[in-house]
Amino acid sequence: MTTYLSDKPPLDRTWLHKQRRHVRLWRRFFAQAVVRETHFRAHFLTTLLVGLVQLGLGIVPTLLLFGFTAEVHGWSRAEVIALVGVFQIVTGLIATFVAPNLNRMTTYLTEGELDGVLLRPVSSQFYLTLRWINVAELTNVASGIVVLVIGLVQAGIAPSLAQVLQAVVLVGCGLVLLTAVWSAMSFLAFWLQSVNPIGFVFLNLMEAGRYPLVFFPVAVRTFLTFAFPVAFATTFPVQALAGDLGWGPVFAGLGLAVVALLLVRLLWRRGLLTYSSASS
Amino acid sequence: MNAVLRNLRVVRRMTAAEIAQQSVYRGAWIIFMLANITMPIISLLIWRTALASGAELPVDERYVTTYFVLLGFVTMATSSWMAGFLATDIRMGKLSSWMIRPASLLVGFLANNVSEKFLKLFALVPMIGIVWWIFRDSMNIPADAGRWVLFAVSILFGAALVFTIDILIASLAFWMDDVSALVQARVIVASVLSGSVVPLALMPAWSQGFVDNQPFRYTVSFPVEIVAGQLTGRELLVGLGFQLGYVVVFAVIARLVWAAGIRAYSAVGA
Repeated sequence: MTTYLSDKPPLDRTWLHKQRRHVRLWRRFFAQAVVRETHFRAHFLTTLLVGLVQLGLGIVPTLLLFGFTAEVHGWSRAEVIALVGVFQIVTGLIATFVAPNLNRMTTYLTEGELDGVLLRPVSSQFYLTLRWINVAELTNVASGIVVLVIGLVQAGIAPSLAQVLQAVVLVGCGLVLLTAVWSAMSFLAFWLQSVNPIGFVFLNLMEAGRYPLVFFPVAVRTFLTFAFPVAFATTFPVQALAGDLGWGPVFAGLGLAVVALLLVRLLWRRGLLTYSSASS
Repeated sequence: MNAVLRNLRVVRRMTAAEIAQQSVYRGAWIIFMLANITMPIISLLIWRTALASGAELPVDERYVTTYFVLLGFVTMATSSWMAGFLATDIRMGKLSSWMIRPASLLVGFLANNVSEKFLKLFALVPMIGIVWWIFRDSMNIPADAGRWVLFAVSILFGAALVFTIDILIASLAFWMDDVSALVQARVIVASVLSGSVVPLALMPAWSQGFVDNQPFRYTVSFPVEIVAGQLTGRELLVGLGFQLGYVVVFAVIARLVWAAGIRAYSAVGA
């Protein structure tokens, strides 16, 4: 048995060990969040119900739209429903893992909570972006998967394993990219003090992801691919499942994700330099 | 009469104070208003695409464009956000200190509503102006000033209607511990039935009879229709009549429930 008194090896500071330590830490965060959720079953139930109602309402415009026409720019109703499913999965994942953290950014900076974080032996950016997890929102991921499957079956799409892999990688890239954009918007708090309403803008812009990219004018498409890359999270994965996408966009997504991560890292460092604690 | 005048004076003073206080958050208002016009713009682009690719809508491109350009302005102008706050004030007993003051707690919420809307105008109007300018070639712009006067009056009625519905929901906090689920339910129902997600003209034919006459139409859709649609003089009169009727009915109910609530009120710590 090891106690706190027994000899322990010093913290290993090599790059690989550091990453492993962070993964281990994140698993603890997750386990803690699950335990906490079991104490608040009403929260779980309301999150589930609200999520289902919002999913239903989110499909209303799509259903109405396809009541007037059979297809728009090559997209049928079933394919757009599959897309709504992917949208629900992605927004559910963001609401589970990212939103509970970035919504606190202003408090971290204005109440001086960041001081406490900076003292800990973890990457402060990692801690601020991924510390809190809202497990109940995973129900929205589940309902999204159901809608996706319904859409795929209705559209008669049977993706191969490679296509599923493409879609999963693209959704992953989309998640990283969107998180990076939201983080960058939140880190503006270093210079603007209060950024609470930034979350509203982000979530409202996300709504564009409910629709295929080709539904928008060309200028907006460019914006939704490179500036606010919601296309990688919804349109491209569905296209990949339908077999309309090569590996090109997948690698482009991976490249963009790496660039975005580096840029956000840079912004975080710049922001920290301007940080003068709020409490001391 | 004297009481009304006094209350109006209180509202004016409190509004001025609120404006001074809220002006601190100039940056936040701009961001809020950006979020406010994002959804209408997305919807606008989607429905124009549908029209361009041959969808047979019951309305034309001009209607759709005008509708969504004005939508962000009207939803802001008629909105109310007090239900949650008012319910908290009731539950936490903050109402007590207002009961010995010569003005109602609701006057404070009215002042807050008016002042925030006034400040939001400065952020929102330029944004709407830009969108309007981009789509200027396919906008419906009524030439006669009468329509615009009706538009303004109808927005006032709509704002009063939303405000009274909010009072009604918050008043239930006199008897219930938590009204947040009710507030959320109202937001969800209203988003569809008020026409702020999809124009009510695009709702399926079988639902039109219900959709055209339910109260939420008069909180957002009707004011927009006055400018965007080709409502006849008769339809305008009937619509305004309905709107005024709903305002009166909801005001009476809210007044009764509020009064009953005050009698039932037993404050925490009082």
